[in-house]
Amino acid sequence: MSALKLTLKVSLAQRVDCSPLTPDKLAGKTRQEIAELPLFSGRRQLRVADLFDVDGDETDTIQIENSSDKLDHVGHAMASGEIQVSGNVGAYLGQFMSGGHIMVKGNSDLYTGCEMKGGQIKIEGNTGDFVGAARSGYKNGMTGGTIIITGNSGDRTGDHMRRGYILIEGNAGDYCGSRMVSGTIAVIGQTGAHLGYGMKRGTLLLNQAPKQGIGANFNDCGAHTLAFLPLMFASFKKLDSAFANLSPFSRVHRYAGDIGGIGMGEILVKIS
Amino acid sequence: MIINGVAIDKTFAEAFPMKGTRIIITAQNTEWAMNSAVAFTGFATSVIACGCEAAIERTLTPSETPDGRPGVACLIFAMGGKGLAKQVETRAGQCVLTAPTTALFAGIAGEEGKEIALGKNLRFFGDGFQISKMIDGQRYWRIPVMDGEFLTQENTGVVSAVGGGNFLILAESQPQALAACEAAIKAMKQIPNVIMPFPGGVVRSGSKVGSKYKALNASTNDAFCPTLKGQTKTECSPEVESVMEIVIDGLTKEDIDKAIRVGVQAACDLGAENGIRRISAGNYGGKLGPFHFHLQEIMA
Repeated sequence: MSALKLTLKVSLAQRVDCSPLTPDKLAGKTRQEIAELPLFSGRRQLRVADLFDVDGDETDTIQIENSSDKLDHVGHAMASGEIQVSGNVGAYLGQFMSGGHIMVKGNSDLYTGCEMKGGQIKIEGNTGDFVGAARSGYKNGMTGGTIIITGNSGDRTGDHMRRGYILIEGNAGDYCGSRMVSGTIAVIGQTGAHLGYGMKRGTLLLNQAPKQGIGANFNDCGAHTLAFLPLMFASFKKLDSAFANLSPFSRVHRYAGDIGGIGMGEILVKIS
Repeated sequence: MIINGVAIDKTFAEAFPMKGTRIIITAQNTEWAMNSAVAFTGFATSVIACGCEAAIERTLTPSETPDGRPGVACLIFAMGGKGLAKQVETRAGQCVLTAPTTALFAGIAGEEGKEIALGKNLRFFGDGFQISKMIDGQRYWRIPVMDGEFLTQENTGVVSAVGGGNFLILAESQPQALAACEAAIKAMKQIPNVIMPFPGGVVRSGSKVGSKYKALNASTNDAFCPTLKGQTKTECSPEVESVMEIVIDGLTKEDIDKAIRVGVQAACDLGAENGIRRISAGNYGGKLGPFHFHLQEIMA
């Protein structure tokens, strides 16, 4: 018995919907049955075996090798198990996932962890826009779980985010935490323009002061020592992330906003 | 059975089921954690009139607390989950929320996940400025207060517990009875999962069930009142001049067993030469509760 390995064997011209390929949906299926499963690519219906070499039979862990940024919906609504991806992935990685782990050694595209409910996604690379966000027209982004990005995240990170953690070891793009309802986004590197735009509640935890400053829609609440931060950093210790090795701090400068709305969000900036 | 000249009565202490929880109070230093814990466990000697029985279990080093600050563990017991929830919430609101630099955490996981509110309703003190944080699957509340932020865990676990374990020390004089109690309490405080809820751990007014007065459901235990030797059916032999009781609440029967063993042993270590004559226990013929602590079996 070995992990199910799907090695991409063709150069993709169209995007592929990989949502059928999760540990939950493949549980109990033989290698042959998996090879015959339909996948949609553009307007065509293909078989898994048309795109991938299928090896191994332990479906609790799925390895996607030689991955492409045209593979969308990887880990769609998965509830358990693990997906390991070597290479880039497309949009909607881990959308609606409620449990399990996704590891990507590469970059991911738009809407990574979109509306996820639980579990953990780790991207060893960069992500596109709208990480942990709500789909266009929807009001709730991610409502639980943890997304770790070792590189940089795109714009609108955590847009409409409601609960959970987004941990960015590199830099975050523009509009980080926009329209956030709750939850925590922590950034070790820099953040872009319009930080916390339209933020309702939630926490933006910054390891360094933003070079672009804090927007006028955030009010200065002064310097404070906050008791929940050591607990939060202690919880990060279990993660395979630079956040586990980050020196814990509890002394922060607090800014409340976006006062253009209800003004209950906060930007916490580490005081060195 | 005689230990160091002290007679151990062939009797048993009778205890009853309770619901309990442990809470952890941390603060900038042990002194302020203790100030809050002392207030939290104040007026909590007996469910007869206090609504709960509570006491400080032990002090905690920074490495033992959730937030890495000095802390104090308190155990609190009540006759049911609802009563416990009310007492915990009222006391946390008045004695921990109000105390400088404190934070409040659950100290025990509930049986089958059963929990009661810890900071769940205290959060409304924040008047809308309170902030929730989920950390490691636990919800915490950050309540803005004048010294900064009061951090409290949302819930604490509820477990089945045992209340009313006890033993009596019969001595030749009041100072000797008290000295034996002090030695017993000092030893019993080393045992985890138990509290002795009365002041200093000692009760001088042991009670019997019922009274000649209809309004009262408990009254003085006249059989063990030395001054009534000539007026009632007494349990005090001629040389016994003072009787004191130690009441023990614990998370399990076994915890109370251990506490009784070390407590009685400490009292007996003073021995007959220091005026300690007998160890007995309070029971009501087995009608009060299902937990029986047979002294001679425990000390065997």
